[in-house]
Amino acid sequence: MNDTELDRLLDTWEAPAPPPSMREGLRVRCPRAKRRRFPRPLRWVLVIAAATATLAIGMEQNGENSWDFRLLRVLNRLYEGFMQGLEARQAASIKARIRQSEPKVYVDGQLVAPLEYGPAGRMDVQVPGEGAYSIISYPGLAGWVEAGHFHGNAIEFQAGSKQVRIECNKPIVDSDRPVFARRRP
Amino acid sequence: MGKAPEHDLHDARRGKEAALLRLFDDHHLPLFRYAWRLTGSTADAEDIVQECFLALLRPDCSFDPARTAIRTYLFGAVRNQSLNRLRRREQGVAAESTDHRTPETEALRGETAEAVANAIAGLPEAQREVLLLAHYEQLSLAEIAEIMQLEVTAVKSRLQRARATLRETLAAYAPRTERTI
Repeated sequence: MNDTELDRLLDTWEAPAPPPSMREGLRVRCPRAKRRRFPRPLRWVLVIAAATATLAIGMEQNGENSWDFRLLRVLNRLYEGFMQGLEARQAASIKARIRQSEPKVYVDGQLVAPLEYGPAGRMDVQVPGEGAYSIISYPGLAGWVEAGHFHGNAIEFQAGSKQVRIECNKPIVDSDRPVFARRRP
Repeated sequence: MGKAPEHDLHDARRGKEAALLRLFDDHHLPLFRYAWRLTGSTADAEDIVQECFLALLRPDCSFDPARTAIRTYLFGAVRNQSLNRLRRREQGVAAESTDHRTPETEALRGETAEAVANAIAGLPEAQREVLLLAHYEQLSLAEIAEIMQLEVTAVKSRLQRARATLRETLAAYAPRTERTI
């Protein structure tokens, strides 16, 4: 018996596929990180809200009402800027994961042109018969509407009368989140 | 998601479940096959592989990404756990029968595959481990040497001996090639 013949013989002994429960079993046994009492963004919200309230009360007591509104507005802008920065960072991270996961775009089940990547967390999809659509993973921008959701290794959303599904070969989000879309002019 | 294994491990140790599952997705198949071939039990193989991934998260885990590739480390961990279980089984601590020897699975298995499984099971432990890693998991001699903490030359010689023994044991099952004179 030569080497090739022995190799062929050895190959007849095949291992079974791992049970589907194996991954789920690991997930269940995985120790959870101790959850913070408040998620990090919420903690910042609470800190800013407390600071604002303290200052507002202090100024009310001092009779300096003219400063009250201005300070509140500045604090409010600071907070909004902070939250938008956080969301943009998350969106960019999701986009980076998608780029590395060989995404395939399906419109009503038909494979179409690949995704195009815009600035920050934006991605563009050519939807035959409906035109070009941009998608992003965070709200708060004018003209963008919630059109579907990210879940696991896929993104699904409605573009006019068409259903768009983007499939990646790896998970891109840890938990479901909405997707916001806008038809490009 | 394209992250280096050490980054995933770092995230997994900080409680990020998705990072651990990425490591699992990348490595579990060959580890499961190896554990199954060593223990002969699907349930044991499943448990061993899960346990090895969970062990990576423990503070006393000895894995050092600067010294060892994660794949090599995991194969070593699976090997140690499998051998411990086999020894416990031999001592009667957990008297389970191996899956590939139950009548139900034997009936499903082809005669040749059964003969190969038995021939491999009959090899000395050190030769069997080398053969499983080299032939079935296609690991290099250097990787096997690292896993088994041997010299490459020792691995090579064990592999040659294992194959020579199998050639003899399985001679009756050799494919018959018609030769023209």
